[in-house]
Amino acid sequence: MGASAKRKKEKQKDFQKPKLKVGKAKAKPENFTDTSFKAKSIVLNQQSLKLSAPSASSQFTHHVSLLSSKSDSQRRDSLAHLTTTIASRPVNSPLPQPVSLLLPSLLPLTLDANSGVRTNLLKLLRALPESDVADHVGQLLPYIRAGMTHLAPDIRVSSVEVLGWLVEVAGSEVVSCAGGWVKTLNCFLSVLGWHTEASSKWTTTESKPAASFGKAGAKGKPQVKVLSVLASFLDAGIGSETVDDDGDSDMDSGFPIRQFRSQMVPQTAAPYAYLNLFGKPRDEEGEMYETREDRWRVFEGRFLAAVEKGVEGARAEGGEVGRASAGVRKVLVEARG
Amino acid sequence: MVKRKLGALEKVEADLPNLQHKLRRDPKSYIEDFRAQHYQYESHREIFMAAPSSATDTGIISLRELIDFIAHVADSYPDITKDFGQELIDMLTQHHLLLEPELREKIVGSLVLLRKKDLMDSATLLQTLFPILISTPSKTLRALIFQKILMDLRSSNAKSTNHKLNRTMQTVLFNLVTSDRTSSKGLWAIKLTRELWKRQIWTDAKAVEVMKEAALAENEKVIVGGVRFFLGGDKEREEMEEESSDEEAIDIGRVKHQVGINKKTKKKARAVEKAKATVQRRERKKSQPHPLNFSALHLLHDPQGFAESLFSKHLQSSKSKLNLEQKLMVLQLVTRLVGLHKLHIMHLYSYFQKFLTPRQPSVTSFLASLAQASHDLVPPDDLEPLVLKIANEFVSEAAASEVATAGLNAIREICARQPLAINETLLQDLVMYRKSKDKGVVMAARGLLALYRDLNPEMLKRRDRGKDASMSLQHGEKQVKRFGAQDVGGIEGLELLEKWKEEERKRKRAEKGLASDEDDGEEEEEEEYNWDAWNVEDDEDSDDSGGWIDVQSDAEIDFSDSEDEDGNRPAKKAKQADQDKVAESQPENKLPSIATTRILTPADLAKLQELRQEAAVNALLPGTKRRGQTAEARHKDDALTAMEIEGLAALSAGKATREERIAHAREGKTDRSEHKSVTAKRKEKKEEQGKSTTNKEKARKKNFLMTLGKAKSKGKRSLVETRAVLRAHQDRQKRGGRRGNK
Repeated sequence: MGASAKRKKEKQKDFQKPKLKVGKAKAKPENFTDTSFKAKSIVLNQQSLKLSAPSASSQFTHHVSLLSSKSDSQRRDSLAHLTTTIASRPVNSPLPQPVSLLLPSLLPLTLDANSGVRTNLLKLLRALPESDVADHVGQLLPYIRAGMTHLAPDIRVSSVEVLGWLVEVAGSEVVSCAGGWVKTLNCFLSVLGWHTEASSKWTTTESKPAASFGKAGAKGKPQVKVLSVLASFLDAGIGSETVDDDGDSDMDSGFPIRQFRSQMVPQTAAPYAYLNLFGKPRDEEGEMYETREDRWRVFEGRFLAAVEKGVEGARAEGGEVGRASAGVRKVLVEARG
Repeated sequence: MVKRKLGALEKVEADLPNLQHKLRRDPKSYIEDFRAQHYQYESHREIFMAAPSSATDTGIISLRELIDFIAHVADSYPDITKDFGQELIDMLTQHHLLLEPELREKIVGSLVLLRKKDLMDSATLLQTLFPILISTPSKTLRALIFQKILMDLRSSNAKSTNHKLNRTMQTVLFNLVTSDRTSSKGLWAIKLTRELWKRQIWTDAKAVEVMKEAALAENEKVIVGGVRFFLGGDKEREEMEEESSDEEAIDIGRVKHQVGINKKTKKKARAVEKAKATVQRRERKKSQPHPLNFSALHLLHDPQGFAESLFSKHLQSSKSKLNLEQKLMVLQLVTRLVGLHKLHIMHLYSYFQKFLTPRQPSVTSFLASLAQASHDLVPPDDLEPLVLKIANEFVSEAAASEVATAGLNAIREICARQPLAINETLLQDLVMYRKSKDKGVVMAARGLLALYRDLNPEMLKRRDRGKDASMSLQHGEKQVKRFGAQDVGGIEGLELLEKWKEEERKRKRAEKGLASDEDDGEEEEEEEYNWDAWNVEDDEDSDDSGGWIDVQSDAEIDFSDSEDEDGNRPAKKAKQADQDKVAESQPENKLPSIATTRILTPADLAKLQELRQEAAVNALLPGTKRRGQTAEARHKDDALTAMEIEGLAALSAGKATREERIAHAREGKTDRSEHKSVTAKRKEKKEEQGKSTTNKEKARKKNFLMTLGKAKSKGKRSLVETRAVLRAHQDRQKRGGRRGNK
């Protein structure tokens, strides 16, 4: 039959040799795969071809540059390396690189997606000398605030931790720098889900954090942490002032010339920041509130009711959260006092 | 920096689009979430503003995404986001040089989005974007901003013309062009104006003024842009209009039918609604009056001053840096203005003198410009030396045929506009070239001959005049126009109307069996008919507002008497003249009297329009005489091109490539896709419409193997079986198939 003849021919085809011709390229086999490619540029990964081991300082710089690496583990490891280098340096010797150079590459990591990176970052920050950090509070705070309002709850919690560290190290700077008081308090309220009267018309659940969009973290623990940091933040801002006592003692000590301090060369990095010579005009939220009275006035006007209500709710909840709220309450009572 | 790749989990945690979706559905419940994101945006903005150049991709969510998010939901929270637009504007205007491209585009897009949501007014948006458009070095950003500006202007002019916005924008553009004449920034003004002109959003004199200033600039690009607009802007506009008008037709019946057959879904229902809406819109558009658009050349305030300054600035002055091509363009514009508005520029004609040699590059364009620049108010003394020079330089037996053709064509075009520009001897010399061997030269010489047969046959030799011309000379009908003489204005196509009316009257009389030229009392009847014609519109509307009809009937009495007498007298006279075959010259001029003796009714005007169109179509048909077409067929506004001057030489075999020749051959033919049989075409059409095949086709396509068995058994059938089969077949045919035609 025709069909079988056809089939035979097809079978035959597989075993026929391709004819080779002089002067022509050899025919490509049927299953040939074209692996050639075109590229606009060819990237060679850098190779280190040095014979001698890199010096400690160059290694340090290298790891700083690796902080913006794409891989999570690379970032984490670099942070760990930096931490050990800083921590293990001889006491009172300067950092391999000044803090002002380190911070621009460190700060974006507050918003890093990987939790390992964030914990390592916190470790590194703790290792930094306290006196250097105080000058850079204004730079740090926007990142921390961005973290506190982040969609991901983990990032919120870890940036609250960073804020806790910052308040510990440089509490007075945090509350008195531009935007440090009102904006940060706003962020706290948003993290805790305590809302000012104007905004809370529609929230039905009062005690629970309303900023619950995204994956909820571990239930009680984060709130405890946030509450304790809030307590220390409020304490730094409107707590009883210990500075005045120092001032008095100073005055006493330099008896003949009482107010020589105001004539001295200022010790802070930006002593005239309150004049805001080069920045844009600030609004109410971004203003610097330098004295306790200022801060208390603003706090009383805008936040006191919400915070008190929130503390009441937290106390009613009891347990660890209730205990943590007691700290905040104590600060409030003292501040009123 | 390369964007960090997001893991799946990260996406879930920081899902702005998801939040956006929820906010949309229930803005009030999610206000705290939004507030948190707004704080987030604020802090990111702070970070960014502290160091705009070093801003990198920070973590999972970047500033770009936040801006996008807030822009999308801003309308739900106007009090929280009241400063948002201003912040974006600040960010963009202060840092657009440093911003990374994606963020920059996002900010522009968000601003436009805010405009769409009416959270920002057009003026603010345009005032923000326009300075960036002219200052940014980034090409992509310029393209984006240009497109957005255009879109915004279009959308704010979509429903009704936004005069205020247009005026401010035009002023901005005008200032841009006039403030610094040496810079090339004026190009943006040109681009914008031209685009808006093309889309008929700007059709006023102010836009033309912008372009006028651009044409008088000092930067070459700007000059060329402005000049190009005047030369081609209106054509572009027309083409655009045609394009938009012949969009694909929607067959509403078919759409409905399809819906009846196919599965009914909401999407399909929506499609039907949409189709209906489109059809309705088109219908409405059709019935709307045609917008009256003047061309840019007509909207110029001071054409004389403009043409003069163009000429002295770009052509005459030795400081002008334009190259030949650009100069030609300017010259084209100047001469068009001169021709169109009948201007006088003192040195224009002497300027041409040095360019009129065959060796001059692109001399045909110069010739075309010269022809354009001549009109009937140009003193013949100015033109005569030029014509003489063309004749001497171009038209001689020694010159190449293309050169001679170009020269003759140019002379013809000049003389068509100013017949007095040539003297008799020269004309007669030139006409002799119709005996030349070259086809192009022959055609050109014939053109000249035909022109003068029409305009002034007396200048031709007796034997060249032709029958019509000599006859009209004898009758004394032809009157040579003297210098500066103006035609008496009339209504275009009025003689057609008169002729038609005459014929109608004759026909009616013939129906009644009367002699065609007798006059009797039926004029009243005609009058009745006429007064019916006044109410053409009213009949359609079928509203009888008694008020003004009454007024009309009052007027009727006044007019009818005078009309009866005047309206018919000239016609009667003409007929008598015909009958008597009086060969004497008629003292009356042939001006149509109908317009002076009666008021044209709306019906008359409608008929007039119809007749005019008919005449235009007839003129295009092959077979009609094409005498004097060069002067009449071309619209006054159209430019004379170098192609027309080159004439047949442009088509001569050696010059055109094969593609050009093919294209030329195709030009005249209507476009058809392929040569195919009628059946094939029908089949294609059927398939296109998704219809099934006929039984015949099915039978033809049936697989061979399936028919094999039947064919085999067919041969083995006995006679009786065959008979039975045939009978059955016959029966079936009678019934009309197996099922029958019931």
